[in-house]
Amino acid sequence: MNARALTSDVLLGIIPIALAIGLWQAISSFGYAPVTLLPPPGMVFTRLVQQLLTSSFQQEIASTLFRLFAGFAIAVILGVGIGLAAAASPAVNAVVRPIVRVLAPLPKVALYPALLLLLGFGHESKITLVAADALFPILLSTYYGASMVEQKLIWSAMAAGTPRRQILFKVVLPAAVPSILTGCRIGLVISCIVVFLAEMISSTDGLGYRLVTAARTFQAVDMFVPLITISMLGLILNGLLQGLRSYLLRGFPEV
Amino acid sequence: MVGPVTHGKTPGSKAGMKVVPSRPEVRTDPAPVRGPASAMIEIERVSQTFRTAGRQAHLALSDISLTIEDGAFVSILGPSGCGKSTLLYIVGGFVSPTEGEARVKGRTITGPGPDRGPVFQEFALFPWKTVLGNVMYGPRQQGVKSAEADAQSRRLIEMVGLKGFENFYPKELSGGMKQRVALARTLAYHPAVLLMDEPFGALDAHTRTRLQNDLLNIWERDRKTVLFVTHSVDEAVFLSDKVVVMTRAPGRIKEIVDIALPRPRRRAELLLDPRYQKYVVEIERMIDDTSEEGLHP
Repeated sequence: MNARALTSDVLLGIIPIALAIGLWQAISSFGYAPVTLLPPPGMVFTRLVQQLLTSSFQQEIASTLFRLFAGFAIAVILGVGIGLAAAASPAVNAVVRPIVRVLAPLPKVALYPALLLLLGFGHESKITLVAADALFPILLSTYYGASMVEQKLIWSAMAAGTPRRQILFKVVLPAAVPSILTGCRIGLVISCIVVFLAEMISSTDGLGYRLVTAARTFQAVDMFVPLITISMLGLILNGLLQGLRSYLLRGFPEV
Repeated sequence: MVGPVTHGKTPGSKAGMKVVPSRPEVRTDPAPVRGPASAMIEIERVSQTFRTAGRQAHLALSDISLTIEDGAFVSILGPSGCGKSTLLYIVGGFVSPTEGEARVKGRTITGPGPDRGPVFQEFALFPWKTVLGNVMYGPRQQGVKSAEADAQSRRLIEMVGLKGFENFYPKELSGGMKQRVALARTLAYHPAVLLMDEPFGALDAHTRTRLQNDLLNIWERDRKTVLFVTHSVDEAVFLSDKVVVMTRAPGRIKEIVDIALPRPRRRAELLLDPRYQKYVVEIERMIDDTSEEGLHP
C-alpha cells in the first residue's frame, strides 16, 4: 500500500468517528438528554485535556497501564510457550487441549471474586485476570500457526543440517510469527477491556476506578473522561503493535 | 564427504514432534558399506503404503529398485500420482519406506542429511530471511564462520545470477528468482546429491527454459549426482543421462532409458537433433501406455 492510499484510508476511517461525535453533539444540543447526564463532547474533551495535565490522573493512567502490560506480557509468554509446546508434542497437546476446552469459554471475570480473595485488592488480582483473559486467543493462534508450518520449510532446514530439537526455534517459531501476532492483537484489545472492568469492580486506583467514583457522585463529565482515555490508549497500543508487526513481518507475503 | 545420515534419535526425544515428518525407526547398527564404489544412491525393493482417510491402504510405490551412479543426472518421469515425489522424499530421508531400504554411499538412509540437498517446486524459502540469509543458513548450520559463510553465499548468489538481490526478501522476487535462491541455498552446504522435486513446475515456459539451461551450466562444472523429478518429457530428455519412466499408481519402474546425447547440450541444437526427437517420442509413447494401464486396470 502506498502512502497516498494509506492517507485516504485514514481519512475514511475518521469519518464514522466524526459522525458518532456529531450525533453525540446533536443529542445534547437538541436537548434529548440533559447536559448534567450527557455532557456535550466539547465539554468532555476540555475536561480530558485538563485531567491529562494533572499528576493524579497521570498516576491513574500509569497504574492501569502497568496492570495492562503486566497481564498482557504474562499472557504472551504463557500463550506462546504453551501453544508451541502443544504443537510440538502430542503428549503436551493431550494435556493442554482439555484444559483449554474447559477454560476458554469460561467468563474469566467470574473468577475475579475468587482472585480478589486469594490475591487481594492490589495489582496482582487485576494482572491475573488480564492474563487469564488475554491468554487464550494468543495460545490458540500460536498453536494453529505452529501446527500449520509448511512441511517443506522444516525439511529444507533439516537437510541443511539443523538438528531436530532446534527445528522448533529455528523454523516453527519464526514461521508462526504472523499468526502469533494476530493472537496478540486480539489479546491486547481484550487486555484493555478487562483491566478497565477489573478496576471498575474493585479497585482504589486506575481509570476504571475513576469512572465508578464519578458515576457514584453523578459527575457525568468525569465519567466520560476515563472512557475516552482507555479507548485512546487502546488506539495507541494497537498502533505500536502494528508497527512491531510490520517490522517483524517485513519478509512475509501480505495477507 | 559423508553427512550424518545415520544419526539416531535419543530415547524419548521429540518422539511426538507433530510438525516434523515421521521419523524412520531407530537404527543403532553401524551403517554397512555395500555396493559398487561408484553407486551414489541405491534403492532396494522399496515399497510405500499410505493409510488414506478411509483406513484403506494405498500402495504408492511398489517394489522399486534403482541404482544411481556418482555424478549422474537421473530424471524420474511419470504421470501425477505415480509416487515419483515420494521416491525422492525417501532418498531425502523425509519419509521412511514401508518396505525395503535406500542407501547413499552405501549407508542406509535414516533421516535427512546435508549430503542430500532438496529443491522443491514450492521453493520453501524462509520468508523471514533475506536472499543472503536464506543462502547462508546451511553453511551457518554446518558451523562455517559468519564472515566466510557470507562470502561463500555471495559468490553463490552471483553464480545463480542474482547479484544485487542479496538483501531482498523472497516475496519481492519472481518465481524464477525464488527458485534460483532455493538452488543456491541448497548448493551452499555442498550436498553430494541434489534432489529436485519438479523444481521448474511452477514457472512459465520461458523462465523454465532459462533455468534448465542455467542448471545444466552449473551442473557441468562439478557434476553432482542429481535426482530430478518431473512430468515433462522434454525437460527429462534435455537434462538427463538416464530417464526412469514410472507407471501410474501403484508406482513401478516401467523402463529406464539411457539418454546418449552428447554434452554440453545446447537447447537450440538439441531441438533439431533427430536423436533427441526420437527419445522424446519414444518416452511419450511409454507414458501413454502407462496412462492406459491406469485407466483400465
